[in-house]
Amino acid sequence: MALADYKYKDVIHRCFRCGYCKFPSNWMEVNNCPAYARFRLESYSTGGRLWLIRAWLNDEIEWTDHLAQIVYSCAACKNCVEQCPYRFHDDIVDMIIAARSEMVERGSIPSVVKEFLENIQRQGNPYGNARSKRGEWVEGMGIKQYEGQEYLYYVGCVGSYDTRAKETARTLGEVLLKAGVSFGVMGNDENCDGNEVSKLGEESLFQSLAEDNIQQFKDLGVEKIVALSPHSYNAIKNDYPMFNGSFEVFHYTQLLRDLIKGGRLDISSGFDARVTYHDPCFLGRWNKEYEAPRQVLNAIPGVELVEMERSREGALCCGGGGGNFYTDFLGGSEDSPARIRIREACATGASIVATACPNCMTMLEDAVKAEGLEESIKVKDISEIVAEACLAKRAD
Amino acid sequence: MDIVVAIKQVPDTSEAVDVVEIDASGRDINKEALVSKINDWDEYALEEAVQLKQKLGGTVTAVTVGASEWDDILRRALAMGADRAIRIDEDAASMDSNTVAKILTAVIIHLPYDLVIFGAQSEDFGSGQLGCMVAEMLDIPHATLVVSLQMDEGEVRVSRELEGGALELYTLKLPALLTIQTGINRPRYVSFASIKKAREKELKVISLNELGLSRDALTPLVILEKLELTPTGKKAELISGSAEETAGKLAMILNDSGVI
Amino acid sequence: MDSIYKALVEIVGEDHASTEQEELYIHSRSLGTVEPHQPDYVVAPRTTEEVQQIVKLANREKIPVVPLGGGLSLTGLVMPLRGGIVLDMKRMDTIIEVNEKARYVIVEAGVSQGKLISCLERYHPNLMHSEPMAPAQATIAGNVMIHGQGDLAQPYGFNSDMVNGLEVVLPTGEVCKIGSCSVSPYWFTAHPLPDLGLFLGWFGTTGIITKLSLRLYPCKKINGVDRFLVEDAELIPEILLKITHTEMVGDLVSSIQGLPLAVRGIHIITININGDSEKEIEFKRQLIREDILGEYIRNGDCGFMGTTPDLRTGQQRPTITTVADIKRGGGFEYVGAILPVDTYPECCREGEAISSRHDIIYTLGGRVIGRSHAMMFFWSYAFNRADPESVRQAREALHESDELALKLGGVPWKPSVYGQKLIMEKMEPNTLELMRKIKELLDPNGIMNPGNWEVM
Repeated sequence: MALADYKYKDVIHRCFRCGYCKFPSNWMEVNNCPAYARFRLESYSTGGRLWLIRAWLNDEIEWTDHLAQIVYSCAACKNCVEQCPYRFHDDIVDMIIAARSEMVERGSIPSVVKEFLENIQRQGNPYGNARSKRGEWVEGMGIKQYEGQEYLYYVGCVGSYDTRAKETARTLGEVLLKAGVSFGVMGNDENCDGNEVSKLGEESLFQSLAEDNIQQFKDLGVEKIVALSPHSYNAIKNDYPMFNGSFEVFHYTQLLRDLIKGGRLDISSGFDARVTYHDPCFLGRWNKEYEAPRQVLNAIPGVELVEMERSREGALCCGGGGGNFYTDFLGGSEDSPARIRIREACATGASIVATACPNCMTMLEDAVKAEGLEESIKVKDISEIVAEACLAKRAD
Repeated sequence: MDIVVAIKQVPDTSEAVDVVEIDASGRDINKEALVSKINDWDEYALEEAVQLKQKLGGTVTAVTVGASEWDDILRRALAMGADRAIRIDEDAASMDSNTVAKILTAVIIHLPYDLVIFGAQSEDFGSGQLGCMVAEMLDIPHATLVVSLQMDEGEVRVSRELEGGALELYTLKLPALLTIQTGINRPRYVSFASIKKAREKELKVISLNELGLSRDALTPLVILEKLELTPTGKKAELISGSAEETAGKLAMILNDSGVI
Repeated sequence: MDSIYKALVEIVGEDHASTEQEELYIHSRSLGTVEPHQPDYVVAPRTTEEVQQIVKLANREKIPVVPLGGGLSLTGLVMPLRGGIVLDMKRMDTIIEVNEKARYVIVEAGVSQGKLISCLERYHPNLMHSEPMAPAQATIAGNVMIHGQGDLAQPYGFNSDMVNGLEVVLPTGEVCKIGSCSVSPYWFTAHPLPDLGLFLGWFGTTGIITKLSLRLYPCKKINGVDRFLVEDAELIPEILLKITHTEMVGDLVSSIQGLPLAVRGIHIITININGDSEKEIEFKRQLIREDILGEYIRNGDCGFMGTTPDLRTGQQRPTITTVADIKRGGGFEYVGAILPVDTYPECCREGEAISSRHDIIYTLGGRVIGRSHAMMFFWSYAFNRADPESVRQAREALHESDELALKLGGVPWKPSVYGQKLIMEKMEPNTLELMRKIKELLDPNGIMNPGNWEVM
């Protein structure tokens, strides 16, 4: 594709390289772009990436592995969208995804991205684990297959297969059972929601996944979906309607907030800790949901909620989006965004950093280990904090 | 430059090792729970062929012997850049290498070719024989385990991979047959859209009869008797001493356990 | 080539050194109109020691070194004109100390404007530095090093006049401290030591700033902005002179632009009035309006545009970046020149003519420095980066503006190589010779940002 065929050809040259895309809303650091944080080279900032994409499409530079890595190192966190002062700021991440689509069509993508996509094509998850194991997390819990209950509890790939994230999936299941919510799961029939596939530029695969999922949901009579992962939440809520799949989608923190408000969850046992909350990008900046998770935490007796200096629309991404929880372009350094984020969490004096996303959970857990801060801070999913607040007995 | 690439489909057992079970016949694995994919080595072979075509012009024809499900890998080959595909409609699962080689030869002999390319071996049975057999049947020179190649006027220069990083260099006169080792290149990603688009390219299905062959007349030279899973080991023993001592101890263990 | 890359990797680590096409491309391109020049290496050091090692290596191998801050001067001062190593200083971005009692801050060279603004607003709200109009990514050291001006220009002068001290790496690799920090733990004054001001305004040709101490000033709670409209440019210099006499205002800028049409042809004097209370603001405002501007209002040719007292936030959507997109082209460069204030009318007249000749909507103005001691007058030219003709027109307009500035008795500020040459041609021979001597003394191998201040 020459520049002339690129969807954003009239806009991509207008990036002034002012650099606001690197900052959070309060300007406190210059490393709020996860890829720029990791490498601190201009080519990895959004502005640099856009200039390189234009240069490549305009035949000024050739495709190289390094270019592909730069283009794929973007975690799609939308900090740049939030901070760019231009009218086309909403399109910035889409410009990068469009460049990825071009690389996908040419077949020239990094090997790990190829693996990611092929694993999904074959086994319905990026890890390439057997489909027949997707529903294993449910073992021994008394959670039923979806057959017309009020909610479909949609878990997603990370929650179904990642060891740590599976615990989150189970705990949320426990909490929903405890609250008497009518729900079912799809078990081995669940397939990848495709959110990361879309961000990686494989549009046709995403469409195929979306259409298959939509058909499956419709055949089962699904109307309401509660998602464990903000990534699933984002895809099903915002992208599936484009393929005639309209469902009422909730992120689980929104449901928990309503259950607590409605008195259907007894959290009186409380949870005594100073907690800081890490905004997941696909719940926060992508979907503007900053309050529901905080409302849940604030409702729990004993929780002292403190904010990191960069929070809400200024939050630092854990670096796990855009497939990076698997492709790992941003790992391997103390400048990895997840490690920076954990250090920030510790600086609040909190003993717990609360997450609402299985990708964030895995990235931050690994970061705690890499930083050697296991004694100082623990990563807990909001569902796990809620579970302790309603299942544990207070010692009197 | 006309190239023929022979490929096969295999079950994906990469992350699913404990899902592998022997089936009722005792001579194959249960494939119901498994997804199929193109043989890893063949993907490198196809990529090499397509890259050669992109550099030097010409055609790439992908060939396979298999049942209708194997159309998938041919579509993938077409999406990668092959110009046309041919499937001989026979279930190759129960055939020995010699039989498959005869069938492939019967097809290839009618195609224009400067180069015939195979993967070095397959992920399922791993015999590594097919390419060599076909080369002999076509009466053309061949080289196996090729890790790099370069075309020249009427010949191809190849490196073969030996142990410990050592390479052998050969020049073969065309037409020639090569079997390709993994790592020779970086196979391109094949997008969902390009597989759909590949439906516009020619995929021909032919029967054994059309080749003048019949299943009955193709007697296998090798018959697979039984397939077993390796027993999961419970014990690991470290044998120490000089080379002579350890060799002696090992021989004794093998003898006592009935292996030799 | 390869051995040098290996050496650089050993100094800064693999992740922060590159010879790849992509990094070289990015650093070969200016944000302004200067033509591309490709470097050979890009490195991002973290410590002064790493900078030293790189400079020593460059000396050994006779490779140019081009220090880079935010890259936002726009006049191509960080273009690797002779190739070599681009030294991205932005990883060195620690705010070392804020001394509230002596009102100064010590920063590493790569600290961004945004980071300092944010730090002061959150932790030292009574203190501010002179914040330039550049985007938040501009660095403190870069701005100071080009003699930048900020929103304290009128009361306190150039940002380079607010420097208490420097740590520099000399072109031959030694680390040197300038100012009180060379004899004391406090970085609070540049005087009274012998003047070693050999690094500001030199564009890195005499050494690399690695740390600096910047004076901080009282930050008031409320920032009021008045806009005074004047049709006759000839009145502007005397109005500005009178306003500065009051010693009651902060940033003072007079500007005129072709768009929006509602204000075309009208000079807008932006008067910043700061105070800790409404009472203070009102007092100052009254003084300006009645005592100073009253006569002009009564004569009928001037008037006020609305007033907006807002809390000082400093984080409104940036205006400079949006100005850059006027041609929907993402490109923008300006000639800024330091000129006597009374040249304002002619600067505007000629500026409109140059803009019109090059098919660019005029955007002109002057920021007062000191008590009308001087102004920084800017001729801004937006261009479409994707259209080579548009770039060429802007470049020509910029060259003409450089020439105009000198003709009017001024000096182009942070001049591009073109402007530098014009200045040097006009310069007193002994002064020029002194510049050459200093460069030769400090940089015998000529490795520091070559092509700049190149005395023939």
